[in-house]
Order: sequence, then structure tokens, then C-alpha cells
Amino acid sequence: MKRFIQNIIPAAALTLLFGMTSCTKDLDVTPIDPNLSLEVNYDGLFNKCYGNMALQGNGGANGDCDIDGLDGGTTGFIRQMWNSNELTTDEAICSWGDDGIQQFDYNSYDASHPMLNGYFNRLTTGISYCNEYLRVASERDAQKTAEIRFLRALDYYLLMDAFGGVPFSETLATPSYKTRPEIYAWIESELKAIEPAMADARAKNSSDFMYGRADKAAVWMLLMRLYFNAEVYTGTAQWEKAAEYAKKVIDSSYQLNTTGANGWSAYQMLFMGDNGESSAANECIFAVLCDGKKTTSWGTSLFLMASTYDTDMDATADDPGGNNGTSEKWAGNRARYDLVHKFFPNDNAPTDAQGYQMKVAAGDDRALFFSKGHTLRNELGYFGDFKDGYGVAKFINYKSTGAVVKGSDAQFPDTDFFFFRLAEAYLTYAEATARLNGDQTTPEGTELINALRTRANTETKTVYTLSQILDEWSREFYFEGRRRVDLIRHGKFGGSSYKWMWKGGAKEGRSFSANLNIFAIPADQVKGEIKQNLGYE
Amino acid sequence: MMKQVNIHFPLRMLGLILGLFLSVSAFAQIDVKGHVKDAAGEDIIGATVRVDGTQTATVTDFEGNFVLKANEGANITISYIGYQAVTVKAAPTVEVILQDDQTVLQDVVVIGYGAVKKSDLTGSVTALKPDSKNKGLVVNPQDMLAGKVAGVNITSNDGTPGGGAQIRVRGGSSLNASNDPLIVIDGVAMDNNGVKGLANPLSMINPQDIESFNVLKDASATAIYGSRGSNGVIIITTKKGRKGSAPQVSYAGSLTISQKKKTLDVMDGDQFRNLIKDICGTESEAYSVLGTANTDWQDLIYRTAISHDHNVTLAGAVGNLPYRVSVGYTDQQGILKTSDFKRVTGAINLSPSLLDDHLTLNLNAKGMYSFSQYADAGAVGAATSMDPTQDPYAYTSEYHKAMAGLTTDNFGGYFEWPTGAAFGDPAWPWTYERNATKNPVAMLNEKDDRAHSRAFIGSADIDYKIHGFEDLRLHLTLGADISKGRQFTDHTSASPSNIYYGNHGWEQITKRNLQLSAYAQYYKDFGKIHHFDIMGGYEWQNFWRSKINNYWGAIPNTNPENPGGFYNWNLYKYRTENYLVSFFGRMNYTLMDRYMLTATVRDDGSSRFQDHWALFPSVALAWKINEEAFMKNVSAVSDLKLRLGWGKTGQQELPSDENLSVDYLWIPSYDISTGTNGYYPVTGDGTLYRPKNYSPDLKWETTTTYNIGLDFGLFNQRFTASIDAYLRKTTDLLNYAPIAALSSYRNQFWQNIGDMENKGIEVTLGFKPIQTNDFYWTVDYNFTYNHNEITDLSGVTTDGSPVPNTSVKIGTDKYLQYNQVGYPMNSFYVYQQAYDKNGNAIENAVVDRNGDGQITPDDRYFYKKPAPDVTMGLSSRMEYKNFDFGFSLRASFNNYVFDNISAGMTNMNPNEVYNSFHALNNRPVNAKSEGRYTYAVTAQIVDRYVHNASFLKCDNITLGYSFADLFKCGNWHGLAGRVYGTVSNVFTITNYDGLDPEINNGYDNQMYPRPISFIFGVNFNL
Repeated sequence: MKRFIQNIIPAAALTLLFGMTSCTKDLDVTPIDPNLSLEVNYDGLFNKCYGNMALQGNGGANGDCDIDGLDGGTTGFIRQMWNSNELTTDEAICSWGDDGIQQFDYNSYDASHPMLNGYFNRLTTGISYCNEYLRVASERDAQKTAEIRFLRALDYYLLMDAFGGVPFSETLATPSYKTRPEIYAWIESELKAIEPAMADARAKNSSDFMYGRADKAAVWMLLMRLYFNAEVYTGTAQWEKAAEYAKKVIDSSYQLNTTGANGWSAYQMLFMGDNGESSAANECIFAVLCDGKKTTSWGTSLFLMASTYDTDMDATADDPGGNNGTSEKWAGNRARYDLVHKFFPNDNAPTDAQGYQMKVAAGDDRALFFSKGHTLRNELGYFGDFKDGYGVAKFINYKSTGAVVKGSDAQFPDTDFFFFRLAEAYLTYAEATARLNGDQTTPEGTELINALRTRANTETKTVYTLSQILDEWSREFYFEGRRRVDLIRHGKFGGSSYKWMWKGGAKEGRSFSANLNIFAIPADQVKGEIKQNLGYE
Repeated sequence: MMKQVNIHFPLRMLGLILGLFLSVSAFAQIDVKGHVKDAAGEDIIGATVRVDGTQTATVTDFEGNFVLKANEGANITISYIGYQAVTVKAAPTVEVILQDDQTVLQDVVVIGYGAVKKSDLTGSVTALKPDSKNKGLVVNPQDMLAGKVAGVNITSNDGTPGGGAQIRVRGGSSLNASNDPLIVIDGVAMDNNGVKGLANPLSMINPQDIESFNVLKDASATAIYGSRGSNGVIIITTKKGRKGSAPQVSYAGSLTISQKKKTLDVMDGDQFRNLIKDICGTESEAYSVLGTANTDWQDLIYRTAISHDHNVTLAGAVGNLPYRVSVGYTDQQGILKTSDFKRVTGAINLSPSLLDDHLTLNLNAKGMYSFSQYADAGAVGAATSMDPTQDPYAYTSEYHKAMAGLTTDNFGGYFEWPTGAAFGDPAWPWTYERNATKNPVAMLNEKDDRAHSRAFIGSADIDYKIHGFEDLRLHLTLGADISKGRQFTDHTSASPSNIYYGNHGWEQITKRNLQLSAYAQYYKDFGKIHHFDIMGGYEWQNFWRSKINNYWGAIPNTNPENPGGFYNWNLYKYRTENYLVSFFGRMNYTLMDRYMLTATVRDDGSSRFQDHWALFPSVALAWKINEEAFMKNVSAVSDLKLRLGWGKTGQQELPSDENLSVDYLWIPSYDISTGTNGYYPVTGDGTLYRPKNYSPDLKWETTTTYNIGLDFGLFNQRFTASIDAYLRKTTDLLNYAPIAALSSYRNQFWQNIGDMENKGIEVTLGFKPIQTNDFYWTVDYNFTYNHNEITDLSGVTTDGSPVPNTSVKIGTDKYLQYNQVGYPMNSFYVYQQAYDKNGNAIENAVVDRNGDGQITPDDRYFYKKPAPDVTMGLSSRMEYKNFDFGFSLRASFNNYVFDNISAGMTNMNPNEVYNSFHALNNRPVNAKSEGRYTYAVTAQIVDRYVHNASFLKCDNITLGYSFADLFKCGNWHGLAGRVYGTVSNVFTITNYDGLDPEINNGYDNQMYPRPISFIFGVNFNL
């Protein structure tokens, strides 16, 4: 035994010594997680840059979230673009208790607003994904590189539109600061630089491999929006350029959807479960994809239909209790009085109408309001419940292929979100040319507005004033996440020229400073070169 | 190894002298036959029996018996290591019960990589032998520590059978990183992540197998554990066999009956019908929805639970090989129906010494198998808000009866709030309305959630004293901690949380942690006054972990499109690992047995940081004042020692987050999308590659601890006290904090920013008011004061705005607790309620604290925090002849709780009671007087719901009776043992109105209630 011990001790000592030197190398680990890759997959990174607009993270609606500090669904790109541009205006109001909703409703947001922080981070994170793609893959495929640069420009555009001056970087680095005119100029030159490399403008639907991707028309649409609001962004109006780019889109192969199907109106078809497959797809210039099975999110079209429905609302008379065609009804967002008023100037809307009935009384297919059991005026404002104001029955998960055909999943919709649709070019052209025509539509502009109104089966006029055009923006685009921009362009958001119910938190409306036309940079981002916006310091 | 120690008791000397006097008058020598056992009735083998004042002595045999000759009436002293010596009068038969001696036990204290004599200890270490008699309901080992150690707070998570607990040593040192102490079981350091079915690493140990706990609190004690020492270290040593002992079999068993203590006082059916009549009117839809039943939902989900526990131990020695084998079985039923925890444990210990005791081995193998049946704890809340007028199994309202095709068939025969279905299945026209309360009975019965877990901890300690150079010891520990747990979850298609498609599947977590530690220790005395003890070593650890889950729904056969098909089939795999490689050393130097110096250092290498290495040093001094000449005459003072310590420890344990890959935070990589519904198919199949954020700069949190301690004992340790004061400063806090946009791939990430401070006082008192042969009474008391304050958060917040604790959420995105410089961590950040002149709260009116004329989030203020300022524990044990009686009390002061049950359930708005989903919600009986009407943050996150939840709890009361020689016949000595009855979680004294003031995170939100339990138990030795 003693001999055994005498042998084993040196052996053990040697083993230990060997162990010690080799084991410190164990510290240089290589990940063994199968969900991690040390190598990039170019297509996967490309998809991620696009997917940032639709998905909260890397695993669908119930997976992880790219953004910290907010609930995953709440960080949704479309959801916060919608909240910031709709709840703050004369179109929408919400009564949920989530921190941030009341501040949106009453225009009392500040630098600690959680949802605006989420929106800011969703956009800047998206820019970082694009920067990463451009770092590793910019030399691979000229068209894809141009598309990623387009997405980055779009993120910067939305960031500038919401937050004014922005942090800026084209690589993963501590950002510099660009004022609103500076980032405007950068976006303009970036979009012009990539335009030649983009795919040609061409109407398509989901069977086309380019569906969901940006082509030249998407670049034109963004340039059009940039020029259309140039006076707001830089102080110098660019109406001609806005009209020029609108015209390019109008003259392309994209077309208004003018024919309904199976009892659904042509307008309603834009917001339905098969809008990527039906004729409605021809109107869509850039779609944010949703699919009940493969691409699910709490923050895209599901948010738009679930937040606006409760269990009393039905999208179709043929399916009582079918609601919006999904199992989700969250009873939150509903119309402000001022929105319904655009369709019923005499406040004579029927008081017990389902969403599919109101259009008859309004004489306008676009009046998708639900009034049964609801009050027209938002008497209680934020503190009112879902019945305090009319329901909006616009976004649904039924398909136009039949009267009661629902999407592929009972919970998550197939409804794509049309980020750019052709009607925007129509109204932009009409307004931009009217601005150059003594604030009255040109015959060409009138024709374009009338095309939209004819599609909606409502009467037409021979000429439209600027304020009528602004109302037309609301009638055509309400609840699509853009109202704030239109009000600002018309000088009717911050300031006192227009009041709506509960504007500024007072029942009959209270004007607020035009400083609030821009949101506050999130408090924790105000460091280094990044400056806080006026009025929020 | 333990060795025989002589303990001198001057008082006993007095007895001895008296005995000598007595012996003068009685010369007659008799045969004294005796039997020695311990307080639990276990025979004591090898105890020394000596006739005082003579050379006559013997030791007890394998059955605890002895025979010797003595003068009648002479004093006989029986002594044994770990017990207090007892002197009895010589008589033909004597029965001796030896009492455990805490102070003797504490003579040797296990510290990291070695043990020291308690008297030589320089750091703040508490050794605790579990109270085998008054222990209450113990399923997990941590239950035995609750309220017993100053500076250690243990709060069970809730009443879940086999559930875990929050353990905090000195308040915890981290804000966002882990605050769990390091747990070391027989030399093997555990990681803190459980597997399925195992609440924490402690739950794999049978409490009956535990010999002692040693809690290392200050840095001079924990710095030897380096980067894992900041939150304290709990070292658990399990029981061993005894050398020279005969085989001995013992059994311990108990039967427990548990019941709910109280339930929330919500309206009954009639009260609720009246409420709806009052607030909605009889013509309302709400009134028509009311059912005709009177259902007490809370009564339907709870039960009287019966649990039992059995342990059999065989211990002894074969030659040089002491062994101990134990088998335990626990079946703990939960009071919430369908919850149950069953566990089988087995432990084998072999502790041979070879080569003239030069080579000692300590081999441990512990195995565990558990089967947990989980109840859906959401049923607790659902039972309080479910409409009491509805029949659990039928639609009774005219409103529901009028709904075409509505039956309970699709709901498994249960009532559920219905809404139109969108499944495209004519057999399912109605489905469960997901925004309404679920039927709690269906939640329990339509979900089958169970976990099977297996765990193995093996360790081999090899200690070799070099032949011919005995001052040098070489020590090697090899350890493995391997566990695997698989949880199966089945929701039927009627389960309200997965209606129609149901959900089936499992998740399996496997972990494999390996450890190798080796150290050499050298003892040397120089001259008579210098004593050196130097140790140096090396350790390598690998923590490996994998997870697989596989879930799917099943489309019902009635579905016209895809009958019987899979729905959302999801397979997910995950693996991770990390390494720790360390070099460490310790030097103890003692001068003249009076002045002691301890210095330790550990150089830790972690694979979690790009810069792997960091150094953690400590120094401590102790001065045994009572050994000084000037104290020699102060006989009342039996111990007096001053301790001073300083040290740095680290913290690298981050909450396990698969999304962030906490083991690889410094490595650039891409996340590949997971699941079946996260594709964005603009190219290829739509798989996503997300650039993963990483940080090459991350490093350890560092906590610097200053400790001053004083130990003293009076009257031969009849009264002992230990007082420690400490200051702990943590710098480079690992904070999950915002990052400048565009400079990283995430908007927040782990960063080393912020500082925090804990300061506190700990007092431990031991008192033995009565110590006679027949009557023995000890009282132990501990007191802890801890104050936590955040001292720097720059970087986490630039404008000084508070940072939310995102782990406590109200609703979707409302936070309750925030962190701010100058306040304790996770303080409540709330609006200040405004009151009318009668002192009644005004609905939705809060104080405009910043006076800017409007109510904004900036009007919130910091009001109290969840952690207590002061905690105390008191335990008393009395033994009179064969009876023992003990109780334990625990108190907590100035711990605050946000009563979310009131904040969430007292809204009397008719639209909340009857919501837009056509479902009714019950209300507490007192809700009407609360008279609240909105869920606005200014009505909900308000200081009026933050309550002082100070409490005094009686954890357990035990009455026991020990017996010997039961059923004795012929040569068989009969049974020795003990029977006892215990009441556990006996009473709570508090001003807090909720069900239970003891809530880990200060957020009272319908937890699984802790039951009161009645335990009947028996222990005996064969």
C-alpha cells in the first residue's frame, strides 16, 4: 500500500501540473449554443433588417424581444408608429392603463415616456442591424445593399419625423448628432444614391418573390414624403419635388383597388387577411408582412384589429360573434368624436350601427365605425371605457374570397400592413399641386381625389380646398398611423388653430405648444453630442 | 476528523469535590450498569465513562452500554465529543442522556478549503447544527436555517410543495446580478440554477442527512471563494459514519396534515347579486348574466393536505471503514389541489482512514429522484375574482342559456366565460373569452403539469499527510453535480389557457458541473509562540447546461380542415457552459495563542469575461483578549475576542438569460431565429440572423467588506454573544442598463456601472438559563439590522431619473419599484394619495409633489422598500426528563408590501365589474368602501397601497417525548427513540391586512398560500 501511495502522489502531482496549464485555456470558450452562429448568414441578416418592421424579436409573437424596457408586443414598429401618430391627434383615443397611453391621449409626453423610448429604440436598433449588414455584406449584391440602405433611410426618416434631430452613425459606433435639416439632407442624398440600384417599380402580390421588399417606387414614396413635409423639417417647402415623385409613382404599374369582392368593398379589401393575395395588393407599394402561422406579432396588424375591437363588434353580418376574425379583442383604441365628424358633419350617425352598416348611412365605404352601445362624444376621455367613442372596424382577418372566410390562424392574422399605398401618392400630388395653385386643387389633383372618393362610393366635387384635402387625408388614411404628420404640415397640431376633443387633456380641447410637434429624445440617450429637443430640457 | 477534546468545567470540579466528600461515607463498591444515548434517543458508542477522582474508566459499547465498578454514590462523568459531559451518582443502573453541545460542535468550524478551531477564527462565520427536535416542516434544507442565523434572511417563495426560497446573506450585494449565496455541499460548489422539478440546489439534499451548516459572511471568510464570495457562502457538511461503531439502524418518520390558514374575503353569490343590482340595475345586461348558484371558488381549489416523510439510516464501521447509508422518502401534498411533491433520496458516505491515519478519504454519493405535480397557481387569483353566482359546471343565467349552441361540452364540462370562436370548426361555435377570469377548477383539472428530476452529487475528498513530513497535507477534491429534470405539461383542449388546440409537450434541463480542487496545507509551530498554517491550491470547474423543449397543440378531430393535425409544433434546443479556473492561498499566523492574522488571496479566471482574470484578497486580525494576563483573573468572562476584517470579493453570476447568452457576453456572434412563427420570408425561408450584442469590457462586480466583530462568553459560556458590524461597498455593479443608440445592437446591455452600500449589525446571543441533569433549557436569539443604499447610478441614468426594476410589473408595462441614488434598492416609487378632510382617500387624486400644476409621472416619490430593516429570530428548547419542548419565533420589521390585491381588485367601476367581454368579476367584501373607479396609474400605483408588513411569526412549536428500552425483552435492549408533535407556521402577528405579510419582493399578488401544518413524528433506533 505504501508503495502504491508513493507512486500515486508524484503521478497525481504531475497530472495536476499538466491540468493547471491546460485548464486555463478552457477559459477561451467557443459557444456551444446551437442558436448562436459565429458566422453570418447573409440572407438571415437581410431578413432581420426587414423583419424589424414586423417582428418583436427572433422568435415570433411569443418569442424574445430585440428591445429592452418594454413588453415585447408594445415595442412593435408599427404599433408605436401608430400610437405616436394617432393617439396624439383628433383620430384616436385609448383608455388602457399602460404607462404612456394617457400621456399620448393628452399630449403630455416627455423624455421618460416608455412607448416613445421603445419607438426610438426600435428605430435605432433597426439602423444598427442595417449598419451590420452593410459592414459585412455591402459588396455582395448591389440591389440588396441598396434595399438595406433604403430601410436605414426609412428608419432615419421616421426617427427624424418623430424626434427632430437624431443620433447618427453609419457604423457601430458612438453616434454623432445631426439636426433635422442635416439628417433631411442625408436621407435625400442617400435615397437618390440608391435609386438606380433598386428593383424597378412593379405592382406585385405575395406570390412574387419581391413582395414585401422595397423597389424604386418605395424610394420615390419616401422621397415624396420627405419633400412633402420639407417645410416642417427644414423650413423650405418642396411642393414641386413632392408632386414630381408622386407622379412617378402614380405613373408606375401600381393601381388603386377599385373592385370589391364577395360583399367586401374595394376599400375594405386593403385591410383584410388576403390583402397580399387579392387585387388589393396592386395598391401596395411596400408591405409589412404578417402571417398567422409563420410571421406573428402582437405589434403589427394584430394590434390594429385587436386594439380596436371588442366582442360586440362584428366585421360582417354573415358571421355574428365572429368579431374581427381573430380570437383577439382588446377593446382599447376607438375614434375621437372629430374623426366620426369628418364623415358625419351633422353628427347624425346612426346610434346602433355595426361596422359594416355605417358606410351606408355615411354614403362612404370608408366609414367603418361601430356605434351600437357607444357614445359619439368621448365624454370621459382617457378615463372613459371602450364605449366612450365609436369603434373602428377597419382592420380585420377575414378574406375577400368569401363572406366568412377567416385567416389561416384563429389568433394571429394574415393581414399585411400597407406601409406605403398608392392613395398616398394621389393625395400628396393633389395637395402639393394645390399648394402651388392658390390652395385649390388643380384639375389633375381633383381627379385624383375623386378617384379615391369614387372608389369609396361617395360623391365627388370639382374642386377641393386645402382644409378639405386635410379632411380627405383623414377619411382615406385614418387609423393607418400618419395623422400627426398631416396635422403638423397644416399647422394644426401644436398651437391653437385647431382643437379636437381632449386635445392637450381638456375635454373641449386645449392648445399646446408647437414644441410638442416633436417628441422628446429619451432621457437616457441625451449624452455626448445628443441634444434634447426644445421644451423638454 | 473529529478528535477527543477535554473540556474542563470548574463547576463540575466542585461536584467532584463534593462527590469525594460523599464517597468517604460510602465505601461499598457496586457494579454500575449504564446506558448512554443522545437526546434523540440514539445510542452513543465510544463515550468515555470515568469515576471521578479515580483511574477507573471505560467506554460504552456498540449499544451504548457500559459496566464499571464504583463506590455507591460516587460521581461518574460521561463525556463524548460534541456533547456536554454529564455527571451522575453511581447506582446499579443508570440511564444517561447527553445533550448536544453547540459550543463544542463549533469548536471546529468548516471554512473554505479546510477547517479551523472556532477559537482561532478571524472572520465572521456562523456554524449551525440543525435542531433535530424543533424543526417544523422541513422539506428543503434551507427551511432549517430560517430565523436561525444573524445576517441570513430566508423567505420561502410561497406554499408550493417542495418550493424554493430566497436566501439573502447581509442583504445581498447586487442590483441586477444574482444575490444568491454560493452553496458548497461537501466541498462541491453548486451553481444556482435549478433544473426542472428542483427549486434550487439545496432541494436535492435530504435535510436529515445534514450534519452542519456553516455560513461565511464577511470577506475575510468568503474571499477564498473569490468571484463568487460577495453574497456569502453556505457550506453544508453531511453526516458520516463513526469509527469503531457497530451497525446501527435508525428510522425517522412523520405524518403532516396541512391546511389553508385563511382566504381572501370576497363576496358570496348573494352579496354579489346585490352588488350588480345596485351598480348596474336589474334591467342591465350584467344582471342578466348573473347565475343562480352560490359558489365559494376558494373552497373548491383548496384541500386538507396529508404528507408523510420516512428516513432510514444505517451507520457503522467495518474495520477502518466508517460508513453511513441513508434512504429517505418524502411525499408532500400541497393544499392547492393537484399539487404534490414526492422525493426519494439516497446517500452513501464512506470515510476510511488508511496508512496510520495518514490517508483519509471521504467519499460521498447522493442521489435523488423527485416527482413534482404542479398546480396552476393562477387558480389562486382566479378563485378570488371568479363570479360566485356561477355554477362551476353549468350555465345557469338566462343570458347564457339564450346563446345558441353554448354548452359546457367544449370546456370539459366546466363553466367558462364564452365568446364567439374563430376556429372554423362547427363543433366549436364558442370559446373561452381570454380576457375574462378562467374557471379555477378547470385550470387545475384541465392541466397536467409534472416534473421528474434526477440528481446526483458525488464527491471524493482525499487527504494525505505526507509520511515523515506530517506537517504537510495534500488534499484533493473531485466533485460532480449532475442533474436532469423533465417537465411534462399537458393542457387539454378544454384548458382555458390553451383552449381548442390544447398544448402538450415537455422541457428537459440537464446540467453537469465538474470540479477539481487540490491544495496543500502546511502547519508549523516555531518556538512556542508562533503558529503557521499555510495553504495553497488550485481549482478547475466546468458548468455545463442544456435545455430541450418540445411543445405542440393538437387540432381537434372535428376541425374540417386539418382534423387531428399538429398545431404550432415547436422544438427548441439550447446549450451553454462556462469555466472557472482559480488559484488560491491562505495563511494563518497565531502569536502566543492570542494574536491572529489571516490573509487569503484568490486569483479567479472566468470564461464569462474577455479579460479572464481578477484578484480577490482579504486580511483579518483577531485578538483573544481573555488570554491576556489582565483578564486571567476575570473569571466570569470565559471568552472575549475582537475580530477585524477587510476583503474584496466578486460577483459574476448573472440571471440566466438564453436570449442574451450570459456565458458568452464578450463574444461577437449572431442569434439564429427560433420557433415556427418568427420567419420574415423576404429572401430564402425567412430565417433571421440577428447581430448579437457583446461587450469585451465586462468584468466582475467587486464588493469590499469591512467587518468588526466581538465574541464573548460569560460564566463558562452559559451566556455567549457575538456582535458584528459591517460595511459592504459594491462597485462596478453589473447593471442591465441603457446604451447610447447605434453604438450597440441592443438598447440595453450589461455594463459595470453604479455603486451600492450595505451596512449592518448582527447580534447572536446564546443563553442557558437552566442546566441540570433533569432540566435543561437553552435560548438562542439573533438580531440583524441591514441598511441598503444605492450610492451611484451614473451611466444607468444620466439625468438622475429613477431606474425601474423591471421584474415587478403591474399590467403590461407599469413598474412599481425603482432604483435611485440615496434610496434602498427596489424602493416603491408611487404617487402620493390625496385625502379629503375626513381622511378618506379621494379617487384618482394625487398630490402634485413638484408643484408644476399638473399630475405627471414626475410627481411620484420614493416611499419605503420591501426589505426589512431589522430581522430577529428566537428559539427556545427545554428538556425536562424525557420531555422536550421547543419553539421558534421570527420577526421582521419595516418590510413594506404593495397590496396589489386591493389595488387590483377594489375597482368598483361597473365597467370593470362587468367588463366589455361580457364577464363578471368578483370583488372583495370591503371593495365597496374603497370606492375606486379607475385603473389609472394615479389611482393604482399610489402610496395608500404600500403597507408596513412587519410581522412576528411563530414558525413552529414542538412537544416531544423520548423513550428507551421500549419492548425490551431477553437480550434485546428494546427500542429507543422519540415521539413528537409539531405545529408549523403556527401564528403571525402583523398589522398587514393581506393574507401573509412575508413576501419576497414586496409585491403581494395572490401567491400560493403557506399552510399551517400539524406534524406527528417518531424516531427510533433498532
